[in-house]
Amino acid sequence: MRYLAIGLRYRVGIILALTLVFSAIFVPGFVSVVTLSLGLDRGATMGLVAVGLTVLLISGQIDLSGGAVFAVSGIVAIMLQPTLGIGLAAVAGILAGTLAGAINGFLVVRLQINSLVATLASMLVFRSIAHWLTQSQPVSGIDMMFSLAISEVYFEVFTLRSVLFLIAVVLLHLWLTYTVAGRNVFAVGSNAAAAEASGIPSKKIFFWGFVFASTLAGIAGVLQSLSTNTGSPVFGADLTVSVIAAVVVGGTRIEGGRGSALGTLGGVLTIAALTAAMEFQSVPAYVQQVVSGSILILLVVLDRNVRSIPLRASRIGKLPIPTTSR
Amino acid sequence: MIGRRTTLLGAAALALISSVSLAGAKTVCYVTAADSHAYATPANKALEARAKELGIDILSLSQNFDVQTGTEQIGTCIARKVDGIILWPLDPQAYIPGLARAKQANIPAILINSPMGKDAGQFVKSFTGPDVYEEGKLAADSLSKAMNGEGSVVIIAGQAGNGTTIGRVDGFNNQLKELGSKIVVLDTVNADFDQQKALVASRDLITRFGDQIKGVYANDDTMARGFIDAWKEANPGKPTPPIVGINGQKDAFDSIRSGEMYSTIVQSPAEDGKLAIDTMALILDGKEVNARLPIPLTVVTKENVETVQPAF
Repeated sequence: MRYLAIGLRYRVGIILALTLVFSAIFVPGFVSVVTLSLGLDRGATMGLVAVGLTVLLISGQIDLSGGAVFAVSGIVAIMLQPTLGIGLAAVAGILAGTLAGAINGFLVVRLQINSLVATLASMLVFRSIAHWLTQSQPVSGIDMMFSLAISEVYFEVFTLRSVLFLIAVVLLHLWLTYTVAGRNVFAVGSNAAAAEASGIPSKKIFFWGFVFASTLAGIAGVLQSLSTNTGSPVFGADLTVSVIAAVVVGGTRIEGGRGSALGTLGGVLTIAALTAAMEFQSVPAYVQQVVSGSILILLVVLDRNVRSIPLRASRIGKLPIPTTSR
Repeated sequence: MIGRRTTLLGAAALALISSVSLAGAKTVCYVTAADSHAYATPANKALEARAKELGIDILSLSQNFDVQTGTEQIGTCIARKVDGIILWPLDPQAYIPGLARAKQANIPAILINSPMGKDAGQFVKSFTGPDVYEEGKLAADSLSKAMNGEGSVVIIAGQAGNGTTIGRVDGFNNQLKELGSKIVVLDTVNADFDQQKALVASRDLITRFGDQIKGVYANDDTMARGFIDAWKEANPGKPTPPIVGINGQKDAFDSIRSGEMYSTIVQSPAEDGKLAIDTMALILDGKEVNARLPIPLTVVTKENVETVQPAF
């Protein structure tokens, strides 16, 4: 029972390890430095957005607008290049993300709109802004060579993007685990009313959660646009769904109150590894989505039905079982 | 006679197989636009069937019309150390870093079906596929003829930013200018080469412009179908304005026969797919290929609808 509990605790790690082992055995040519490098780079785009979303989900909110913010930020960063130069335009792109987050935060915290509805609406608005800014045409940046430079691979493994993603994961992990503010996010996510009653400013946490999530979506969008030298209104169209999947696979509960940065890292890497392995085998895209969807459901079911048993069994008689959080 | 031909074919096949086994089967990565799509599917099938004949293994990856997925899939191709890449680009620029990496890894790449921007030229050996700009021009000629050079039209365009869409829309508009035509474009909407989206967009157009719509230019026949359905809903029994589509698919031929559509342009997906893999095979054999290899186009109206084969 105890081993089961430990196994379930680290189920993301186990699933990731299983994915890698199976791929290594059955997919010829999968084990290589190039695969690692490309897998990390591919995971990094999704991963940066996922890091932002992890905080929001733990606090019990959701943000569907990430993919649209991703597109808008990239477009801003490309369109302003002729006037501001590449560096400042990139900063402006990220700030556009921050602004989008503030708008989401305002809608949810001040106007008290349910975050699912609010960000669904803002997703549509931001996506339309992306189309409006570009007249539905992709826009090109001023320097193609810069996009090649930013996609440069270091030590045969890392790209700028993947390093930023890994740093973001480590920082988020430290913040969530070791700071009071980080711990408060969990409290608010478990029970916002109780947290508020004990003096935790839940509204402030929600607002800054949205700002954080959209800023990271902005950073990811700017990096994507810089590395492709393109701002496109259709970028990130499928991103939101895969990001939510990665975060939930990583063990973050969509209702809030539980989750971790390392789990998200595991979730992102699992999805990236699965995709790469299936692409190596030419598995059709729709089958890939069935596999990802099934793993998602399996993990959530495990989370709900099995995880609670051993924990309860091991703690019986020592601690009262909190039932409100479920 | 038949027997002899079979023997000959058999010998040729044997020779082919043995030459392939000597060289070791080559693998070509095919990053296609989508798995299931009226045009892409037959193109994919033709490409894969021809590859089999040539003894080339295909690693087929579908972008499902998502550019970002495609840019990442080029990475997969490189990691897999394939011998060549055939890319169906959905954006004029975004794939360039990936193609540059492929070039660094000495993997030759060609484009199928849709063009990319000029910057991409140095990273690809060839672009095989229809001249979409030419198609736009032919569509403009055809619609001008149908409308006697005047009246107002709507354009139902494909996916925003897609090279095919850009070529077909620009070719059309520029040709109208060139002709000194009095045809006015009321609006251009994007319906992503999707019948359902075209139906919804057409309902809006018909509500907004009504009888002002004297002609329709759809970037493909699937979307033309969407307009026809919307028109029938709104104006039961009333004949459709002249509608010009592209692709030459079977149901467009039926629509031309029944008078619901004025014309289409046959562009065969099977030819599209075959030409790409044939070109890649030449490259893998170390031969030089042309930077631009078009497939033939035929404008189909009521006059020749019975003599031309539909594309799919």
